[in-house]
Amino acid sequence: MKSLRQVLESLRIGFDSLRANKARGVLTALGIIIGIVAVITTMTAANGLSNNFKESVSALGSDVLYVSRMPWIVTGNFFEFRNRPNLTLEEAELLARRMRSARAVNPTINTSKSIKYRSEVIENVEILGTTDQQMLVASAVPEIGRFLTRFDIRFNKSVCVIGSTVRERLFENVDPLNKTMKIGRRRFRVVGVMEKQGSAAFFGGPDFDSQVFVPITSFVKAFGGSHRDINVAVKAPSQASLADFEFELIGEMRKIRKLRPSDRDNFSINQMDSLVGMFNSVMGVVVTIGLVITTISLFVGGIGVMNIMYVSVTERTKEIGIRKAIGAKRRAILAQFLFESMAICAFGGLVGLAGAFGVTALIDRLVMPATISPGIATLAVVISMGIGVLFGFLPAWKASRLNPIEALRYE
Amino acid sequence: MTIEMTDIVKTYGMNSVEVQALRRVSLSVAKNEYVAIMGPSGSGKSTLMNIIGCLDPPTSGSYSLEGEDVSTMKEDQLAEVRNQKIGFVFQTFNLIARSNVFHNVELPLIYKGVSVAKRRKIAEEALEAVGLADRMKHKPPELSGGERQRVAIARALVNKPSLLLADEPTGNLDSTTGSEIMSLLDDLHADGNTIILVTHEPEMARHAHRIIRLKDGVIESDTASSARAKRTA
Repeated sequence: MKSLRQVLESLRIGFDSLRANKARGVLTALGIIIGIVAVITTMTAANGLSNNFKESVSALGSDVLYVSRMPWIVTGNFFEFRNRPNLTLEEAELLARRMRSARAVNPTINTSKSIKYRSEVIENVEILGTTDQQMLVASAVPEIGRFLTRFDIRFNKSVCVIGSTVRERLFENVDPLNKTMKIGRRRFRVVGVMEKQGSAAFFGGPDFDSQVFVPITSFVKAFGGSHRDINVAVKAPSQASLADFEFELIGEMRKIRKLRPSDRDNFSINQMDSLVGMFNSVMGVVVTIGLVITTISLFVGGIGVMNIMYVSVTERTKEIGIRKAIGAKRRAILAQFLFESMAICAFGGLVGLAGAFGVTALIDRLVMPATISPGIATLAVVISMGIGVLFGFLPAWKASRLNPIEALRYE
Repeated sequence: MTIEMTDIVKTYGMNSVEVQALRRVSLSVAKNEYVAIMGPSGSGKSTLMNIIGCLDPPTSGSYSLEGEDVSTMKEDQLAEVRNQKIGFVFQTFNLIARSNVFHNVELPLIYKGVSVAKRRKIAEEALEAVGLADRMKHKPPELSGGERQRVAIARALVNKPSLLLADEPTGNLDSTTGSEIMSLLDDLHADGNTIILVTHEPEMARHAHRIIRLKDGVIESDTASSARAKRTA
């Protein structure tokens, strides 16, 4: 009770002296404010990137293996991969027939074309030749209309399903269903529009909302297929059997490719996990560098606090002498100055937090979805108070050790 | 006995040259005595006052304040003794300029750990006693010298000290205000307080009942003052 009262009193005294020096306090806090804004923004941006990435990756499913010519993450000798043969549609069909346990086998082929509806043109849109199996390996479904059917694939129908961004840009005020648009020089009829999925384009990944899906057979007929590389998505019967399933898949591919036991695989099996792993390690490095830099700015802010606290102690030497003469113990003086520096830093932390909310709102509107998590907000305030203690300690310690007689004599 | 000092020595080391400010001073002061300490500058007057006020420990010798040995105490223990047993009145008032009169007066109570309600009551009473109850919310720079010194006296009294230590309390005041402060001290003495007054003005020293003169770190004389003779007569 008694010590609590003394703590409260030290707190009050600390605030009192701050009020006497408002401008100085605010300027000192500015260093902390900038540091906190930098730290929170870095952490929030990293979080936002991460969430964005995970969202778009989860659209692809983690129990799906992707057979392709090249690994997604190329390590080692690039030329060895380059000389591998393309995956062909025939190979994909063979694989579909042999992988009996697969829940879905979906070959895809892609290119980039300009698309046109009336006078609206969009350049460089990803055109994805695919099959009805797409619905089984990816999570997105059509928002209006339908997806491609087996029938479309079988009979090379000139139909397409468009992503939500394509719809917004090409068919601004028009119902796109059953409209005919041009992909390259070919005409396709729109039969469906996909729901919005969010984009991984920020990382150079696919932007699912800007894709146009056409039957793979029509794709080959319209744009040619023999020289193109095919990717095959193969969905495992269950997440648990993924490893066995991958082993089986490699075996079947080797048979299709007629590889001898001594030959190395001339194809790659990819999965989302490897992408996630790479993303996490890259993000880890980026976040670490960001935090180191922003921590330095906080540190500089802390030095500013320490500096001003030394000034404050020197200015108030006489006051410290008076307080000691009438019975203030060392810890009372220590607490008084510690609370003062903590108050400066807590103020800086709170204003910095408010600033960070502003910056985050801006990022959210202009760049990508981002929000400050309560954890980060709390951490920021705790860190700033910690800086107050850390950098206020030496000046406060100096104040508490002053000799009362010398302090009283100070003018 | 309020103060019991035996063979107090205080030595200041200055670049290996040692200066003896006090050389075996022995002194006792009884309860409710009114003592003036006089002496030219360099006589050891301030040093003695600092030791009596527990601001500075002696180099050697023993000092007990109300039967408690304070000569070997550590800094925080001395702070507690200063807080509870000694009331200081300084020549330069030594009030905290940023804080109002009330807060200045309640400060010793805060360091003692007294509750807010009690603090308010005691501080208000003390300010009333020195006639400044209506100035509670003022800040020291808004007051006259005499008022400031009365605030300081109120602050010195809130913890009911065993000893009131006044160091040249009228040194920064004009003669009229000075004599007002001196008569306030007389009243406090009449109320039963023990007062030690450090001064170099014989006129002020006459208020005390006993005058101790210091010279070169030793007590030169220790005599009853004429005031006492007058009052007892």
